[in-house]
Amino acid sequence: MSLHLDPSVRHVTSVEHVVSRWARKYPDRITGYFRKEARPARWAEFPAGLSPGLRTALEARGIRQLYSHQREAFDHATAGCHVVVVTPTASGKTLCYNLPVIEAVRGSQAKALYLFPTKALAQDQVAELLALSRAGELALRAFTFDGDTPADARQAIRVKGDIVVSNPDMLHQAILPHHTKWAQFFESLRYVVVDEVHSYRGVFGSHVANVIRRLKRVCAFYGVTPTFILCSATIGNPKEHAEALLGEPVHAITESGAPSGERHVLLWNPPVVNPDLGIRASARSQSMRLARQTIRARLKTIVFAQSRLMVEVLTKYLKDVFDHDPRKPERIRAYRGGYLPTERRQTERALRSGSIDGVVSTSALELGVDIGALDVAILNGFPGSIAATWQRLGRAGRRQQPALGVMVATSSPLDQYIVRHPEFFDAAPPEQARIAPDQLLILLDHIRCAAFELPFASGDRFGENLVDDFLAVLAESGVLHQEGTRWDWIADSYPAGAVSLRSVADGNFVVVDRSDGRQAIIAEVDYSSAALTLYEGAIYMVQSRPWQVEKLDWDGRKAFVTTTRADYYTDAIDYTKLKVLDRFDGHIAGQGTCHHGEVHVVRRVSGYKKIRFYSHENIGYGPVNLPDQELHTTALWWQLDQATLDAAFASRQDALDGFLGAAYALHTVAQVRVMAEGRDLQKAVGSGDAAWFATRDANGRGQWRDGEGGAADPDSAGFNPTLYLYDNFPGGIGLSEPLFRMAPVLLREALELVQGCDCNGGCPACIGPVIGEEDAVRSSQSELAAHVLALLGA
Amino acid sequence: MNALAEKLRRLRADAGVATRENAPAIIAPVSAARIASARTDLSALSVLRELARARQARHPESPIPNPGSLRPVPLAAPAGDEIAPGVRYVEQSFPYPADPVLALPVESHEPVARERLLCFDTETTGLAGGVGTRAFMIGVAAWADGRLRVRQLYLTAMAGEAAMLRIFAGWLRTDSILVSYNGKSYDAPLLKGRFRLNRVQHRLDDLPHLDWLHPVRRRYRGVFANCRLATIEREALRIVREDDLPGSEAPAAWLAFLRGQSSRNLGRVLDHNRQDVVTLMRLGDHMAGLLPDQRV
Repeated sequence: MSLHLDPSVRHVTSVEHVVSRWARKYPDRITGYFRKEARPARWAEFPAGLSPGLRTALEARGIRQLYSHQREAFDHATAGCHVVVVTPTASGKTLCYNLPVIEAVRGSQAKALYLFPTKALAQDQVAELLALSRAGELALRAFTFDGDTPADARQAIRVKGDIVVSNPDMLHQAILPHHTKWAQFFESLRYVVVDEVHSYRGVFGSHVANVIRRLKRVCAFYGVTPTFILCSATIGNPKEHAEALLGEPVHAITESGAPSGERHVLLWNPPVVNPDLGIRASARSQSMRLARQTIRARLKTIVFAQSRLMVEVLTKYLKDVFDHDPRKPERIRAYRGGYLPTERRQTERALRSGSIDGVVSTSALELGVDIGALDVAILNGFPGSIAATWQRLGRAGRRQQPALGVMVATSSPLDQYIVRHPEFFDAAPPEQARIAPDQLLILLDHIRCAAFELPFASGDRFGENLVDDFLAVLAESGVLHQEGTRWDWIADSYPAGAVSLRSVADGNFVVVDRSDGRQAIIAEVDYSSAALTLYEGAIYMVQSRPWQVEKLDWDGRKAFVTTTRADYYTDAIDYTKLKVLDRFDGHIAGQGTCHHGEVHVVRRVSGYKKIRFYSHENIGYGPVNLPDQELHTTALWWQLDQATLDAAFASRQDALDGFLGAAYALHTVAQVRVMAEGRDLQKAVGSGDAAWFATRDANGRGQWRDGEGGAADPDSAGFNPTLYLYDNFPGGIGLSEPLFRMAPVLLREALELVQGCDCNGGCPACIGPVIGEEDAVRSSQSELAAHVLALLGA
Repeated sequence: MNALAEKLRRLRADAGVATRENAPAIIAPVSAARIASARTDLSALSVLRELARARQARHPESPIPNPGSLRPVPLAAPAGDEIAPGVRYVEQSFPYPADPVLALPVESHEPVARERLLCFDTETTGLAGGVGTRAFMIGVAAWADGRLRVRQLYLTAMAGEAAMLRIFAGWLRTDSILVSYNGKSYDAPLLKGRFRLNRVQHRLDDLPHLDWLHPVRRRYRGVFANCRLATIEREALRIVREDDLPGSEAPAAWLAFLRGQSSRNLGRVLDHNRQDVVTLMRLGDHMAGLLPDQRV
């Protein structure tokens, strides 16, 4: 009906109307609802000394005073104090750094380096700076410097750029190793702006912290100590995280002075379609249904998808509804990485001008790209952290009208956990960004790169670390030459080229589709999960479309697949053995113990099961012949002794099932706490000495395995089950230590998760799926897990 | 300390496993602080050593391995006098009867005084690029009174770099014309970086620079197999080198000398570099002597 209306007239059904209609129709799908009141602005005057040119530029853009946080950032930064600004999306945070930077550039020919995690953000930032510059005739010279910058433009940028906007990878691989070409730039470098610092966590963040150490070392060579201005989304530990990245005290600005319109947020859990198996309708179908309704209601809508492929799928579904008539202007667009810049700019313009009604995007639009104001944000799946969720929800919001955000949960454990805990969205964010800049492997990589950039002297420090031993080792491998106390790079190689900031060192596997003579890469799989998902014979699914792995080239990091119509999926039979090597710390946990320390992990994939869709019958086995994955890393673990368990449980099988369920729940809550990617943190249950370990059978019940993966007898050996959570990175990446310190909280939350789940004795959202058992057995599984958690002091 | 020794024993055992073919590298989870605290125990080094080895296995950088000890016995330098700590100077002069004025495609094609030509070439530690690549040898050929004088500097220690650069900078006169082969995009930028790194003033940016690579390419592309200096030299100038050390082997030759392993090939690098700068002067006469319609 609305199609017959004049499209130039916005015929809007209000957000409140949509929300109340959904609340009436689908009360059981809405697990959380928040209404955030509109908030007025808190203003501050322009700084007294603000130059007339900049004042003119701001006024030309309608800015006559500052928000309080912008003024606070200006005052601290100009006083030479490092700051981190923690404010929500669209709160005008760019002025927090642009004001001090522009004043310094114009007042004293200073230079500034801006780092953004993506190229698109960098391009936006330059566009914004140039617009401001034009408005006040400030003659700012701001340039992006990234992989797309043509070689002939680079020299001009190095010499002429006042503000160079780049990313950590370029700093690492192109700027620092060529710093003499940037000498003029470094000699005048006054400010370094690092935006989106919450995204620099885990392995990536640990690398970035070391790149910043190298940057500061090069700055010291040129006699400058720039002030850092950092920006972060709302996380639990912004100040601590900023200080870990920088290695110096940082002033945190956490109060936003920006106004915000009223906002409604819904947590949406798709309805259960198979109560026995705890299977829910897909998030995709729910997101589409919601988006269709809001777009029909003439509410400008953005849908966030988790993958590029999903963007395409959702876009197609929406276009089938709204863009089926080619004579009418386009209403729906897709936006993601991999598109040409011109196409992305076109979509951004269309969004700003309001000429399209819906956009489907990956995280590419989560960050600060300027797309104007939208009415509705629909998240197809939990983005992995509360911080990213708020960033995406923040994409909808206007001053005058209320905005709506909906987070639609998938069936993954993390999504299911989050959607049932609305309090995470209400209270302070639970997530802590963690980095481990002194992780030995990463440190060695960056000391190598740093030695290339400037010679080291014995006794120098890199971060807090004395470099001597590292230098000696690098000299022995032939890349450094020692003369007295001086160590010079000597090799004919470019070490930064071999170090990728964004992935673990071993390199990803690409999945190559060879169907019908094609050679198309359809996915990338990280090294640590390749053995589990890409063995020959495996069914590899991308958005539920199945491919079969025909050939795995382990050394070449390639898996060749063809499309298949198989009615089954495959599940690797893998054995993870852990052995405790060293205890760093420990305490009593209920009737057991909890420790933090070092472990040796061996993972072997010995074969796979073929499991039929829907019926989940096991219809066959296949062998897998792959090298063992070995890893020394850090872990935390819980143990209960034999006497306690024999007294508390009717059988050792029950106790083991309890441990496996507890591990599943603890792993889920721990991931939320440390903002971990699922692959960075792993779980396992076994003995403390690798004598035996436990796996789940196809029905979710525990099985004993001996050290070689064969069946083991639960009653013969000592029964000392141990529940591990470990860092899935050689040497550890700093996750297990903070988890150890919050172990009591984890136990409590895991217990709440198990007891609060309304499933029938085990589902993907609590202790993992338990199927095919009689109801009496099944319902006891949750209780067993709860019992183990309680014995550990939860 | 006992616990640490035990740990290190275990890690060393692990490392043996790690170097087995196709086995994934095992990385010891020892924090840097722990290593620092174990500094007195030499075996702490072995942990890092294994780390480095595992790293290198995955990212072959093909550095030239250092089989020698950390403190080499200094070798006798193959030639020249030490004119600064870590810097040696070699000078040779050859009769070169020629017109003192030369028509060159530089400064609006006016004839220039031959004395102003400063033919230069560097030998570097490699082609990887970036701040980690340095020049260990600089050769310069200049003409005066019917003779061609070749001056060469090379490093016998890393610490000599700043002195070498200062001496070279002193050879650049205000009226010099730089002459090189691909030096505009390779040798000159590299030297500017080294000047910057060693905080040495220089006038490279102020001097006219005649790079023969592009004129030669325009003239001889498709005529000879390629336009490398050695090819042009052989085909157009009829110069034959004996026992020439290929330029690509120069870094290893110098490194072997620096590490006290061998000085033999460094002498050959000096010869090679000397011939390069002489050829640059010959090339000027060759190009200037071409018929007008063949001019570049």
